Amino acid sequence: MTIDAARGGASGALRRRGRALLASQEQIVLAITLSLIVIFSFALSGFATIDNFLNLLRSISILGILGLGLGMIVISRGIDLSEVAIMAGSWSIALIEMQNGMSVPLAIGVALLVALLIGCFNGFMVAFVEAPPLFVTLASAFVIYGAAFWFAPAWVVYAPKDSSVLTFLGAGRLFGVPMPILVFLFCALAMHLFMSQTSIGRFIYAQGDNPEAARLTGVALRPLMVLEYSIVALLAWVAGWVWVGTTGSMQMAIAQGTMIFDVILVVVLGGISLVGGRGSVFSVVVGCMLIGILLNAFTIMDVNSEVQNIVKGVVLLAAIVLDNFLHPRDEETARQGD
Amino acid sequence: MSEVLDRDESVADKAAAPLLQIVNGSKVYGGIHAIENVSFDLRPGEVHALVGENGAGKSTLCKAISGAIKLTSGDFLLDGRPVNFSEPRDSLAAGICMVYQETSLVPTMTAAQNIELGNERLLTRFRTLNIQAQQLLQSLNFHVDPATPVTMLGTAKKQMVEIARAVYNKARIIIFDEPTASLTPEEIVHFFHLIRELRSRGVGIIYISHALEESLQIADRITVLRDGKQVITAPTKDLTREALVQHMVGRDVAKALYERKPRGRHERREKVLTVENVTMGMAVKNMSFSVYAGEVVGIAGLIGSGRTEIAKIIFGALKRNLINGGTIRLRGKPIRYRVPKQAIDDGIAYITEDRKRDGFFETMVVDDNVYIGRLATKQGWRFLLSRAGRAKFANYWVERLQISALQRKAKIVELSGGNQQKVVVSKVLVQEPSVVIFDEPTRGVDVGTIPHIHSEIRRLADEGKAVVVISSYLPEVLSVSDRILVARLGRIVAEFEVAEATQDKILYAAIH
Repeated sequence: MTIDAARGGASGALRRRGRALLASQEQIVLAITLSLIVIFSFALSGFATIDNFLNLLRSISILGILGLGLGMIVISRGIDLSEVAIMAGSWSIALIEMQNGMSVPLAIGVALLVALLIGCFNGFMVAFVEAPPLFVTLASAFVIYGAAFWFAPAWVVYAPKDSSVLTFLGAGRLFGVPMPILVFLFCALAMHLFMSQTSIGRFIYAQGDNPEAARLTGVALRPLMVLEYSIVALLAWVAGWVWVGTTGSMQMAIAQGTMIFDVILVVVLGGISLVGGRGSVFSVVVGCMLIGILLNAFTIMDVNSEVQNIVKGVVLLAAIVLDNFLHPRDEETARQGD
Repeated sequence: MSEVLDRDESVADKAAAPLLQIVNGSKVYGGIHAIENVSFDLRPGEVHALVGENGAGKSTLCKAISGAIKLTSGDFLLDGRPVNFSEPRDSLAAGICMVYQETSLVPTMTAAQNIELGNERLLTRFRTLNIQAQQLLQSLNFHVDPATPVTMLGTAKKQMVEIARAVYNKARIIIFDEPTASLTPEEIVHFFHLIRELRSRGVGIIYISHALEESLQIADRITVLRDGKQVITAPTKDLTREALVQHMVGRDVAKALYERKPRGRHERREKVLTVENVTMGMAVKNMSFSVYAGEVVGIAGLIGSGRTEIAKIIFGALKRNLINGGTIRLRGKPIRYRVPKQAIDDGIAYITEDRKRDGFFETMVVDDNVYIGRLATKQGWRFLLSRAGRAKFANYWVERLQISALQRKAKIVELSGGNQQKVVVSKVLVQEPSVVIFDEPTRGVDVGTIPHIHSEIRRLADEGKAVVVISSYLPEVLSVSDRILVARLGRIVAEFEVAEATQDKILYAAIH
């Protein structure tokens, strides 16, 4: 019985005070981001230029698009580790089909179809088979990696050079602004409206907040989960389109790389709590900005990639500690209503 | 251990110096007094009950005593000497133990291991451990086998293990927070026996409970708190239930609260819900009953009698046996729901017994909680949210159930238990059900809120809805129901019209 008392205690009081003082993780991260911008503007030559800012934003836009999907799924208390694999797998298959003579729009449709099928499968496994999403999506990431190699036996699949449909989203500009930024902003706006203005968005928050309460309230959780994982796949497809347009190719290797952890990083960093039900699209945008600025400054300062990885790891840890601090998962919160 | 055990049985000396004293204690959170100038003392061998509505400051006072928080001002004396706990560990060392309502035992460990938990030596022989524990348990007159894993023990026995652990830790002051909430009437009797046993050993006991009868029965003195202020501290013999309630709420609602209003034999109208021979595993066996439109059916019974299970089966949250599972009819039409959504679409509602576990959405404000209930129905569904719609439904229910309007902008975890319960009720009733099942509608709800919930239950019946109220608290069942069913071991074993029912009759049917 005494364990409870020991756990409550001093750290509990500190946490309560912390919650009262610190408004939210978004605001903290935003403040850090803005101060970094000011510091780097003075300290680094070549940082505070329009070109550099556009470059910075373009470099994070694919990460951001993926982060929007993962952010939504984390809000619903799920996780999708196969997002990068879906992006790489669906587009590798599409590019191979293009090389084999399929028309570009049709191949893009094939990529969409493949992505959505995987998303539906993930959703089905999580919702109806009731398997833990961490393992379902980890397994599908492996399956996609293997299967895509089967269809597209190459490390790097190149896109046909002459297709403007394919390259516009990645390499094009509209009013001087690179398209990836605009695609990211459009996706962020759409996702924001979806999460905050539709009842399905409300249900996703409700599910993340308290799945059993959502079920008893009459939210149809299973179709909802299939929808959520399909939306993640849809965003992976959009991100893949931008990727192909930017680089002119798709690499299967990224499915096995650390990119998915970068996506998790921007999601958690911005304040989408792993507890579920907390955070918003704004969190993803803010998280992306901070990471983008750090990476951009590192590039300007010519810091090597090992140090970059260390910094990313430390930032992720700090974000999780902060999340834990703001949304503690102990009896102290559970007992608050007394 | 020996120090406590060797104590003479006659220590319970009322004139003895207080074990613990708080003089003019105050605790301020952000400019607001959680407790203000409270003076509290506890003598050895005394049971001192703390009563008050939710938010009256009982928890704050106990947290201060157990060292979880520090008083802003005031003196804290232990054995007449001022102490200053900086963390709970210190209060433990001083012999203060807090027993929470949820047991904090490790389920997979045996009773003996749990008693020793936190004090293990590097190497322990199971045999020695069990013998020690056995001696301790026997000296307390607790009939618990020390070698049994805790998960196999019933709630009452788990509580015995917790108490034994407190004694093992040389507790001189034990704080019980709602100890009887999950006990059956028989177990409560036994629990009181344990308390008297501890008292006779000179342990000082602070007793917090919502059930006033219990405090009156077991306590030597009672302190009433209201809005953080000490209203009265008096020997129990000078107090009555009515007086307590009056002190707690500061107005005279005591008598009206559980008054049995004479109700004419109501006319049976349409039979809405029929349950025939419904069976689910060992929890529900051949349960049968019917509910008519415009009546309130109370279901009484002990914990484990299958009351909650049958409600959840009707609602689709649990599934009855596929074969020989019995039949449930809604207006004559057989139903079997896979998920609660189908039940809600058919107009059946279930209001949970545990609002923290599965009642409300803690990250959302009152209005969103109510509105989401509406959105989840067939008639309330819309793709885009509507501010006007949200305000309309929330305003209606906030007014109808008198939810404290000041707290509309607050997240729901910051509300009092009573207001939380009202929000949960609103979230369900906004779905416009024709059958409403309340499961423990006033558990953990302050006295001032109970009449609001009871009058809402009656109002629903008057509106022609079929209402089922599941409750462990017999005065509640007797005061709101038209008809009372008694469940025992998964069956309905008795049925009374409210006019002919008494607490004794119900209890007899529930136990025998």
